[in-house]
Amino acid sequence: MHRPNKLHDELDALLDGRPVELTDDLAPLLEAADVLRAELAAFELDPEVADRHLERVLEGSATVVRMPVRQQPNGWDLRLRMPVRLQPNGWDLRRRVAAVVLAAALVLAPATMASAAALPGQAMYPFKLAIEQLRLASVQWSTTREAGERTRVADERLDELERLVELKMFSQLPTAIDALSRAVMAADAAVDEAAEQGEPVSGLAGRLDVVKGQGDVAVRRAESSAMTQQFPVVSEGTRDAIHAAVDDSQDVLAQPTVVSPTPTTTPEPPPATAPPATEPPPATAPPPTEPPATAPSSTADSGETPGSVDSQAAPDGWTLDEVSPASVAGP
Amino acid sequence: MLGFGGEREAVSRVGLTPTDLAAARRREPAAVTRVYTAYAPALFRFFMAAVGDHHQAEDLTGTAFVSAIEGLPRFRGPVEALGGWLFQIARHDLYDYRRHQARSRIEPLEDNLPEAAAAAGAVDPEELAIERLEGTRVMAALRNLSSDQREVLLLRMAGGLTAPEVAATLGKTTGAVKALQHRGLASMARVLGLRSPNQAQERPYPSPDPDRLTSQEDEER
Repeated sequence: MHRPNKLHDELDALLDGRPVELTDDLAPLLEAADVLRAELAAFELDPEVADRHLERVLEGSATVVRMPVRQQPNGWDLRLRMPVRLQPNGWDLRRRVAAVVLAAALVLAPATMASAAALPGQAMYPFKLAIEQLRLASVQWSTTREAGERTRVADERLDELERLVELKMFSQLPTAIDALSRAVMAADAAVDEAAEQGEPVSGLAGRLDVVKGQGDVAVRRAESSAMTQQFPVVSEGTRDAIHAAVDDSQDVLAQPTVVSPTPTTTPEPPPATAPPATEPPPATAPPPTEPPATAPSSTADSGETPGSVDSQAAPDGWTLDEVSPASVAGP
Repeated sequence: MLGFGGEREAVSRVGLTPTDLAAARRREPAAVTRVYTAYAPALFRFFMAAVGDHHQAEDLTGTAFVSAIEGLPRFRGPVEALGGWLFQIARHDLYDYRRHQARSRIEPLEDNLPEAAAAAGAVDPEELAIERLEGTRVMAALRNLSSDQREVLLLRMAGGLTAPEVAATLGKTTGAVKALQHRGLASMARVLGLRSPNQAQERPYPSPDPDRLTSQEDEER
């Protein structure tokens, strides 16, 4: 006596044409299957109908009214009663991306513009810092661009400090001075790193020296402006904090930008129209007896005499004709 | 069937390749025609046995095929699973049709069976009459099965699906499908009077519809 499962398996094998011994139990069942198959085989599709079906599909002229299909958000197709992958086609994907970009533009553009003028202590200021971080992240692939962006950030901190002084927002001055110092230090490091990689950073170093010089002036102006104010406009605590911040900033702002020598660049010849009185020192080996007073490396590339930052076009179009770091080193 | 050494492309039982499937997704006419040729006859037999009406079965076949080709980009299975997927669509088209019919008039199955017999190509009226009678008996026996048994047998015999494919289509286990298949065929064999030699002396099973179905004993008498 066969077990039921074995009988089921044997019948299934016989129906599929697999070699299985045909027992008396299964013979009538197989015969019934043959009868049914023969009956079903009599149902033949009319070739003309088949042509019409194919025309409906291939020519897109189908007028089939499909039954309403309610597709649930979790991808369960009620018609197929099976989970389906809800994959957007190319057009849908492009539409979604466009919608996201548009939404981001609608949100970010006004916010960026609104936050551009934000000062420390204002509601939009954190947003401004976040946008700066995004911009910095987007230029990480190039040391030169990163150095340029960090120099721009330092210049922005300087601008904020000057505006805070103008607006007499003294309570924010310690924060702003610290932020300026940190931004200048970061820009210094970035410029140095770019120089170590052989990038032409003389223009950036000059820009940064200008920021340092102006920053030093602005810090001292801020300090003196705060000290002239009476209590309660500026509290004692704020004054102490400003003093401390100014002292700390001197380590950064009073130092010229020192750029590592660039081994791959060759010093430019001195200008023919204005030859220096003495031979320009080699860029890689400045004379030990006369250490440069200001930015030696920023001038080494251009072959200029150390200690002067003349009108000079930076790579990105900045003109360094405003302030010489040496002239603004102190009041 | 997988090719030897992975050099030959996998081919489904009905002769379709993954290339055909990919081309059909793009609605390339040759590939769509190959898919139609491979499955439309089976779909038509499935619908014909289920609804018993030639025109309705043709319409349902066309509708199911159009739905399948439109939904083919969603189908991510291998080409071997295409048949099961097509018959899932066919089943649900059939449910929709029956729901629609339930709201209007339900046509009796036997009214349309002559068309099925005529489709067999019988030219002799006597032969046609015998075929009609036999067809009526087989289809009536099929109709008297439980819906699960009938569906399994139709997918196996009309659709040409294997037991695992039927199981996947119906959401059952392969063992359950094999059991339903066994019971369904046993029931049909009883109704049609098909018995094994050692059962020949036994009394035949009573017909569920004595007016219409004839047992072997009745025929002998």
